[in-house]
Amino acid sequence: MRARKRDWIDIGLVAFTVLFFTFMLAPIIVVVVVSFTSAGYVAFPIPGWSLKWFANIFAYQPFVGALKVSIGVAIAATLLSCLIGVPACLYLARSRRAWASAVMTFLLSPLSMPMIVIGFASLFFLSWLGIGITFTALLITHTVVCLPYVIRTVAGVYAGLPSAYEEAAAILGADPARVFWHVTLPLIRPGIMAGALFSFLTSFDNLPISYFFASASTGTLPVVMLSYLENQFDPTIAALSSLQLLMAVVALLIVDRVYGIDKMTVAA
Amino acid sequence: MSWLLALPAALFLFVFFVLPLLDNGMRSLVGGDGQLTLTRYSALLTDSFYLRVTAETILLSAGVTAICIVIGYPVAYVLVRKSGRWAGLIIFLLIAPLLTSIIMRTFGWQVLFARRGLVNNLLLDQLGLIEAPLRLTNSPGIAIAALVHVLVPYMVLSIATVLQSVDRRLEESAKILGAGRLRAFREITLPLSLDGIGTGAILVFMIANGSFVTLVLLGGGLQTLPLLIYQQFNTTRDFGMASAMSTLLLVVALSCLFLQLRLVRRRGA
Repeated sequence: MRARKRDWIDIGLVAFTVLFFTFMLAPIIVVVVVSFTSAGYVAFPIPGWSLKWFANIFAYQPFVGALKVSIGVAIAATLLSCLIGVPACLYLARSRRAWASAVMTFLLSPLSMPMIVIGFASLFFLSWLGIGITFTALLITHTVVCLPYVIRTVAGVYAGLPSAYEEAAAILGADPARVFWHVTLPLIRPGIMAGALFSFLTSFDNLPISYFFASASTGTLPVVMLSYLENQFDPTIAALSSLQLLMAVVALLIVDRVYGIDKMTVAA
Repeated sequence: MSWLLALPAALFLFVFFVLPLLDNGMRSLVGGDGQLTLTRYSALLTDSFYLRVTAETILLSAGVTAICIVIGYPVAYVLVRKSGRWAGLIIFLLIAPLLTSIIMRTFGWQVLFARRGLVNNLLLDQLGLIEAPLRLTNSPGIAIAALVHVLVPYMVLSIATVLQSVDRRLEESAKILGAGRLRAFREITLPLSLDGIGTGAILVFMIANGSFVTLVLLGGGLQTLPLLIYQQFNTTRDFGMASAMSTLLLVVALSCLFLQLRLVRRRGA
């Protein structure tokens, strides 16, 4: 009797999991399919296949401009995050002082704040500083939310490394700069790569902050997509989303290769 | 290594993260005449419209969190205890949606429930249950489903992390001593994984509290603080009130962060 009861629980659990992933994947799969539709409207199932909506992305000028802005901001914010984030990790990940862990918490805290609040508050503050709606403002605000991703991954990798390699190099006469360049940097490179990729994707997908800094020359892709979606409902958005998904999946596979997905715990 | 290394990052966040938020708090306290005023906060805390919006924000976040726990726990359990060689695939399927844009997912929900979407087509053509397409979008149900869709992976991963560290021998012992499978789960596994539920719940609640894109696009008549900030910035242009609401949202977020830190510290101890 007991064995049979156990089977039923297991079957129920597996069925539930399958149902769960149907729920998780359905909205994503329909968008990918709709991006290949031959129809002039959004419908599912689709009447036929075509690539015209992908061509349409590049025919709509605001998308092309926004794509350039988005890529520019994502690269710049990621570089800046690495530039100030990696040195911070080198100290904080090894320090045993109580205040170092407090600083670490502080550096990760932008992840826990509502982005719309960061965006709204920054707009007024940066305008007061004279850098209102500019590329610089986008770069600064995106770095605020990208930095924690770099710090979390790099600190995670660096904290797990024994300090023996660096000590050995120092004992053998290497100065701190050489130790960093020839020993530390190669060791933490996977962490930097993974952090940079997450940072890039975070910036690229950001809407709640970018929204406040949008103008004709500073509108990022999600912002332009949102305003397009508020006026039109056609498969172009689906095609654009599918391209973005492809990019994210490739990035995820790279992260898995160099870093291991299982190390990416989500809770801070 | 010197503490100076951490200075640029800390300074950057102080100037471009802390100062804007403080400045925002100050602006919520300064009236149109330049005098300090608490009228906006008294409106937030007494006016029935704002009270309803605040209550709706918290109820929506709490409701979404509860749904995520109920849906996410069994999946986390399967991932840790039952998946075997499927574990990699399950983790990939959990993380992949986290990397799709919020616009893509809301668009997906619109496609599923649009006039000529999958659900209407199924009901109309395949099953013949209805005679004309139903107007399904713009209902709170779909907005809630979309929010759960965005947030439930965080819950599953938080619970799975803790569940992984629960010693399976404890559960085995309970069974050997005569407890049924459900009883062993209820009295051993579930209490030991409460920390994961707690971490996940705070995380989900925190993100739900600040999300507004889903509600902007899927509507459903739900009125929350972030949505109202968005609208007041866009249309009413009542920046003072938007500042006050942002500060309120920030206080909620800080309380969540505080709870989160306490939970993490307790687990570490």
